[in-house]
Amino acid sequence: MEIKYIGVNDRITDLFEGQFEIPNGISYNSYLVRDEKIAIMDSVDLRFFDKWLENIKKELNDTPPDFLVVNHMEPDHSSSIRHLVLEYPSIKIVSTKKSFDMMRGFFGTDFDESKIVVDNGTALSLGKSTLTFYTAPMVHWPEVMVSYLDTEKTLFSADAFGKFGALDHSEDWACEARRYYFGIVGKYGAQVSSLLKKLSDLKIEKICPLHGPTLDSNLSYYLDLYEKWASYQPEVDGVFIAYTSVYGNTKEGALLLKDELESRGTRVSICDLAREDMHEAIEDAFKYNRLVLATTTYNNGIFPFMREFINHLTERNFQNRTVAFMENGTWAPNAAKTMKSMLENSKNLTIIDTGVTILSALNENSRAQIVALANELVK
Amino acid sequence: MKYVCDVCGWVYDEAEGAPEYGIAPGTKFEDLPEDFECPLCGVSKDNFSKE
Repeated sequence: MEIKYIGVNDRITDLFEGQFEIPNGISYNSYLVRDEKIAIMDSVDLRFFDKWLENIKKELNDTPPDFLVVNHMEPDHSSSIRHLVLEYPSIKIVSTKKSFDMMRGFFGTDFDESKIVVDNGTALSLGKSTLTFYTAPMVHWPEVMVSYLDTEKTLFSADAFGKFGALDHSEDWACEARRYYFGIVGKYGAQVSSLLKKLSDLKIEKICPLHGPTLDSNLSYYLDLYEKWASYQPEVDGVFIAYTSVYGNTKEGALLLKDELESRGTRVSICDLAREDMHEAIEDAFKYNRLVLATTTYNNGIFPFMREFINHLTERNFQNRTVAFMENGTWAPNAAKTMKSMLENSKNLTIIDTGVTILSALNENSRAQIVALANELVK
Repeated sequence: MKYVCDVCGWVYDEAEGAPEYGIAPGTKFEDLPEDFECPLCGVSKDNFSKE
């Protein structure tokens, strides 16, 4: 019984899923489970099919695999299915009913001759070991399942516990896993919590996600982070300042607030939403327990990057944090009102009433407001 | 009247019901059993909104 990694590194794609910057690439993970029967766990992006097949052949030579287990139907893990079936016509595809419905959409066929439909709790014997499948709807697609291999105490976790970054690049796990989680899965915290609960009775010693490294030590660290992220609890005591600035005056206000907070011993992270990675900003908004939004009144609303940012937060169920506002306007400042109204349906936010209004550029009044806001934020 | 799942976007159309899940056409949303779950993603009735 052994599990072999047969995935691939993607160093070509610049924007993952058409929107996420991946300066260090990404991996599409696939695993080979070899018992009396041979199972391949998920496929890879079709552009890397040849490399993947080479990895399979290196392990199996001319032996055909028995099963392809499809935990997730998103094309970065599924677009090679048809090519694999052409290569190994006898292979059986193991997945949920919803996955086969999706295959009809993607491939025009649900591989009726080859399919084995499984549901929550279905077991598949490979010989000495058994794979058991657990449905994981909306983590982060409806058809998703995860697979547990009993003899190895290994969870094949689909996109859960995934991260950006190719496997030949070494970096801290949490930062890129957090950006991945809040960017891609963030809206579905309740569903992630349900899955963690569903799996809580399993003895898990190894997690094999579809992106990023296999996790096989200190698992409570990763599970605790996922519990926290799924329940929208902040991770770090500190202030995240997200700003936009047209002529630099709002930026000056944001930087002054940063200095004031740091001089009070508070940890601060700051981001220019127009110039830095929007998804890093989303990650930080969920990481810290306090958020300050600073923007300009624009077209009688707010600057577009701030509008986009707040929309990203609300559609991901932003909640359980303290929020304060800083606005700038030259004739009719109303950005704070607009930002506040965009967040009015968000749950359990503590809104700080002490606002900052900059009239074009910082002056004595607005500097005093910033000092007052810093005092309020550290209370 | 139609109701949409806030989580995954599945739509329940009262006129059509959901025959493949044993719900007859014309069944009002309020008459669905309390333990009704979204057939696509499994969340409960209170996660639906009027479309």
